[in-house]
Amino acid sequence: MKNLLLTKSMLALLVAAPLFSACKDDSEDPKPDADNEQITTVTYTLTPQGGGTPVSIQYRDPDGDGSTPATITPATLTLAPNTTYTGTLTLLDETKTPAENITAEIQEEGDEHLFVFAPAGVNLTITATDKDKNNLPIGLATQAVTGTANATSTTGSLKIMLRHQPGTKNGTATPGDTDVEVTFPTAVR
Amino acid sequence: MLFRVPGAPEAAWRWLMAILLLGVGLPAWAQPSCTLTISGRVADHESQAALPGATIVVLETQQATQSDVDGHYHLQLCAGTYHLQVRFVGYAPETADLRLTSSAERDFRLHPDAVMLRGAVVRGERMAAPTTQTTATITGQELQQTRGQALGEALQRVSGVAAIQTGPGIFKPMIHGLHSNRVTILNNGVRQEGQQWGVEHGPEIDPFIASRLTVVKGAASVRYGSDAIGGVVLVEPKPLRDSAGIGGELNLVGMSNNGLGAVSGTLDGNLRKLPALSWRAQGTFRKAGTMRAPGYYLKNSGFEEHNMAGAVGWRKDTYGVEVFYSQFNTRIGILPAAHAGNQSDLLLAVGRDRPLETTGFSYVIDRAYQQVRHDIGKLTGFVRTGNAGRLQLTLSQQLDFRDEYDKSRPRNDSRAAAGKPELSYTNRTTTGELLWEHKPWHQFTGSIGLAGTYQANRYADGSRQFIPFYTNQIAGAFVVEKWQQGRWLLEGGLRLDYRDLAVRRGDRDSTGVFFVERSRFRYATPAASLGATFDPSTHLTLSLTTGLTRRAPAANERFSDGVHNGMYELGNDLVPGNAPLTPETALNVGITATWHNNPRFNGELTLYQNRIAGFIYQVPLLPLVQTIRGAHISWQYLQTDATFRGLDLSSSYQLAPQWLLGLKGSVVRTRDTRADEWQILMPADRAEATVRYDWPNANATSRFQNRYAQLGGVAVARQTRVPNNYEARDLLLPPPGYGLLNMELGGTLRWGGQPLEISVAGANLLNQRYRDYLNRYRYFTDEMGRNVTLRLRVSF
Repeated sequence: MKNLLLTKSMLALLVAAPLFSACKDDSEDPKPDADNEQITTVTYTLTPQGGGTPVSIQYRDPDGDGSTPATITPATLTLAPNTTYTGTLTLLDETKTPAENITAEIQEEGDEHLFVFAPAGVNLTITATDKDKNNLPIGLATQAVTGTANATSTTGSLKIMLRHQPGTKNGTATPGDTDVEVTFPTAVR
Repeated sequence: MLFRVPGAPEAAWRWLMAILLLGVGLPAWAQPSCTLTISGRVADHESQAALPGATIVVLETQQATQSDVDGHYHLQLCAGTYHLQVRFVGYAPETADLRLTSSAERDFRLHPDAVMLRGAVVRGERMAAPTTQTTATITGQELQQTRGQALGEALQRVSGVAAIQTGPGIFKPMIHGLHSNRVTILNNGVRQEGQQWGVEHGPEIDPFIASRLTVVKGAASVRYGSDAIGGVVLVEPKPLRDSAGIGGELNLVGMSNNGLGAVSGTLDGNLRKLPALSWRAQGTFRKAGTMRAPGYYLKNSGFEEHNMAGAVGWRKDTYGVEVFYSQFNTRIGILPAAHAGNQSDLLLAVGRDRPLETTGFSYVIDRAYQQVRHDIGKLTGFVRTGNAGRLQLTLSQQLDFRDEYDKSRPRNDSRAAAGKPELSYTNRTTTGELLWEHKPWHQFTGSIGLAGTYQANRYADGSRQFIPFYTNQIAGAFVVEKWQQGRWLLEGGLRLDYRDLAVRRGDRDSTGVFFVERSRFRYATPAASLGATFDPSTHLTLSLTTGLTRRAPAANERFSDGVHNGMYELGNDLVPGNAPLTPETALNVGITATWHNNPRFNGELTLYQNRIAGFIYQVPLLPLVQTIRGAHISWQYLQTDATFRGLDLSSSYQLAPQWLLGLKGSVVRTRDTRADEWQILMPADRAEATVRYDWPNANATSRFQNRYAQLGGVAVARQTRVPNNYEARDLLLPPPGYGLLNMELGGTLRWGGQPLEISVAGANLLNQRYRDYLNRYRYFTDEMGRNVTLRLRVSF
């Protein structure tokens, strides 16, 4: 009879087993990843120094990595030949509400960050005009100088990289990790 | 013909077949005079009383017999030199050298063993391996030869088992071309449940816990759950001590290549005053530094592991209870080359002779790394219900914590200071199984079982989503019956599982607004198996197994999305334009011939075919997925129909009394029958040959016994059976084939009365540079160079 009792209690245990584990928080929903930093939006705005209408180009991936791919608007950054522009970069995390201003953070930790501008196939020279506390360039503020126009129907590119170099920044691109790498189609016309 | 695959003639397969036929042919003409008899009587040394039921084993041939009621025994052998070992409970075992030229008589007088006599009770412990199914075990000295290796690495000794590798620390077992969700691992009787979906997640198991590793090749879904369509790995510790006293063992391992050091100790005991109570405690520490490929060190390839386990059991003849707890902790460095920052850097890193970044030797594990903890608590009990049979209940609770740290630390200083992982997962699984083994009825034996699983998978707030929240509930019932008569054994089983997968996935719409998408998948997944075993002679066993199984897709196969360990992965249901996954249906057939207890040739040959309708697999996703951080090696899940056909061979040939030749090989051919092309990422043809010399144990007083030397070679072909137009579908073609030379020397030293097993093994002795198609690092680096391993084991 003892055995029968044992059997019954075992059966009861088996049935009850999942209940031990089914905690209340199992019905919770995933939350937006508030602590996980993302950069969703990079805007580069260029204002002609002699006056004129500013031009800008934007990389935007509001849903973060994966899913809907990022968009670049307008499709091409078009600059006038032989012109000097003042450039400013703004970076946002639009997955947070309100959108988090990454530009200010980078400014604050300027001694750990470096923007690298790599134009290709276009007559464009970009130099950083801002400095961190160690007198090394950051690149949030820039000067862009264009040369002669692109050959008809050719478009070059401008790659903008943000290197994160905590404790290792020396003014070159080599140390650290890449936090941002976006490539904008660019032409001088 | 069962084994016919469209395509070019298969040289490797023919070659294996030829060797096999040669092997089978050999004993026919190499049987000179195997009719010599050795006989005698086993008795107590003092009283001269007969010892009925003593075991007599010929160590060389593993022929065994038992003494009859008068203590007499009788064996038939070929002419040669043998070691005869005699064992009887409560007596010290005795070994005798025997040079047999004509029939001979040899009597044994055994000495009572003072220690063993103390209330030793022999209890038969049945191991629940399915009998008609092809199984392979690694135990004893063979297991000892794998000490210090990861579980998946050790299992590669079994023909038909490969490993998907992610660098030197992560090995995922692959049976007959199937892995991850399709291979069930039973860790001490508990279904291992964690983040096992990931190809770069090694099983969270300390292999030092095992005294035996068993691989069930082919579907074993009826007994172990409907997703075990590739096979099952059983990690079995030694049963709890059943004789009074305290014992234990200590293992030490050192490796030259990556400075790996491993210490593992086990203590077990049984109380004299409370013979029902037994306990065991075990602990392992394993740490490795930077791995060396020929010519350079592989950056950040170290790992560290510390584990512990304990068990307490109360056991009587009619009932027993056991509580078991184990904890596994590991930190594994991830190669930085896999984390290339952008597309051009990545393409520059792929296929290089050596990685751009190399390093010196170090034990430091830097970012990127994985930090994993796995806890298992188990309660198991049984009652023998008199005439009804045996009832067993197993309850377990598992917790799996997996944190993954990206190579780049958070850009924001306050977030970096918090030191949170970028991916942080928790998997909580409760399982229960009730098994009733009925009393044998006529020729029938069998069992009926109920099984349930509740699993919740979550990620921490602030962790990047990669696998969504999901809750998986499974309830199943199964019955397995065996019928045995004469030379025949038939086995049939049925199982029905009901699976309910509820998924909550956080996502953002194209404007970036967060929402939660809920989906639920409910399936009934049946499984059936039928098998037969026939013994045409005492030296040959033939078996046939068939099985039909349905496996429900797992959450990761549907919904993985994001970057993890530097690679981007995408689930099938999220691929634009893909239909949602449907369950896989697998129909498999296998035949196995086993030659055993032969004086010279012993071996096993398995042929199998597995057709999987709706086969779910991962392929490289090209063009590479771009995120704001650049490009990543990318993978996506797809579904097709696939047919696997293959052959495993494992054999040995006793060349001369002291010389043993071993040969193993495996071949698998997988066709994607929907696209009519070869299936991607399947193991290449593999063959392994060894020659072993065992020194005769000249005299029993010698301090160095059981000496052996073994020389071996492993050959792996280039995988040429890949999907059409492969250049456009993967970043790199499969690497060329390779051959490795290995060697091992060992023996047992008498050291202050304790036997000290010692061995030195050299792997990749020629320091060959090679890459393996199934290693995810193959894009970036070579495999491990020369490695010398020293192993010590003391048991007391």
